[in-house]
Amino acid sequence: MASIALSISFFVTLASLDTFQQSAGFPGALSTESYHYWMMTVALIVSIVCITNTMLIAVYERYREIGTMKCLGALDRHILMLFLSEAIIEGFIGGAAGLIFGLSLTSIYTVITSGFGALLSAPGHKLLALSLGSILLSLCLSLGGVLYPAYKASRLPPVEALRFEP
Amino acid sequence: MSLDIIIELEDLAKYYTIGGEVIKALDGVNLEIGRGEYLSIVGPSGSGKTTLFNLIGGLDRPTRGRVYIDGVDISRLDAYELAWLRCRKIGYIFQTFNLIPVLTALENVALPTVFAGVPRDEGLRKAEKLLTSVGLGDRLHHKPSELSAGQQQRVAIARAMANDPEIILADEPTGNLDLNTGMEIISLLQGLNKTRGMTLISATHDLKMIKASDRIVYIRDGRIERIERG
Repeated sequence: MASIALSISFFVTLASLDTFQQSAGFPGALSTESYHYWMMTVALIVSIVCITNTMLIAVYERYREIGTMKCLGALDRHILMLFLSEAIIEGFIGGAAGLIFGLSLTSIYTVITSGFGALLSAPGHKLLALSLGSILLSLCLSLGGVLYPAYKASRLPPVEALRFEP
Repeated sequence: MSLDIIIELEDLAKYYTIGGEVIKALDGVNLEIGRGEYLSIVGPSGSGKTTLFNLIGGLDRPTRGRVYIDGVDISRLDAYELAWLRCRKIGYIFQTFNLIPVLTALENVALPTVFAGVPRDEGLRKAEKLLTSVGLGDRLHHKPSELSAGQQQRVAIARAMANDPEIILADEPTGNLDLNTGMEIISLLQGLNKTRGMTLISATHDLKMIKASDRIVYIRDGRIERIERG
């Protein structure tokens, strides 16, 4: 969840900074058309690698739990749904935390450099679109990162999972 | 007297190949288990008890032979049908309880009902009733870490009964418990066997459990050594 929050906050910081700068009268001062996109992409790739790695460790640590659930009658799809549901919740919470953190950082920066006026005159629809977009992005990142580990968990033979000693 | 057979094992064998060497965990086991019977499986570590459990429970597939449950050869079942069998027909009790640590006692017991597609409220109501029947009516919302070992095993027993299975497979259920708690668990399982008519198959080293059973199957080196009446 921390990796999602960090990458989304980084993404929101870069994207919203441009919006605030333009409303303060510095069009193109920190254009997202330049190095911002590159940095955002790097942040998102790092995030997806972190999520996949974290979820693989989570699956490994929960081998016995998965084995127990299969003993109790869980189907592969139940295990898959369990991990995907967790990913959606973590993606949403991580995305919201990242959004709040990123927007706070940019707001503080904008107030210090350009005053309250720049903050208040920022276009609401752009910020709303950015907020919704970043939550959606964090959900996609989280689901994308968890797909392989969740599939791996769901296919575990119960006897192998039960035999596992952490 | 002819028994109503619920489980039949026919020339059951399971071999593992480890480092090029074939290990015969089970080698030609034949056994009939009657409905409502309380059977103890006794044998030294590595004798094949757990392998036998896994095969009866549909958790593993045999190298040779057949496991019939209610006349159905379970080696012919697909993954979906095996999951159905584990969910509705068999209840598992583990030595290490295997409760889900983040769930409360109530949620742990209700978990198999979720897999059986029982509506949530109905599952929780049933779980509450089962927990009350094992003497944990006042511990419904406690997490496993807040319960003693004996209480955790009671939760596991209630969970094993969640979908009213006909067969209970208990793998050393008193193995991690002290003498008195172990006695309580044995009485509880014996009571379930008698009152609900569940077939109870228990792997154990516990003499008190062995004495309480109808039949004792001694297993050694993957073969049945002898069978005694309890």
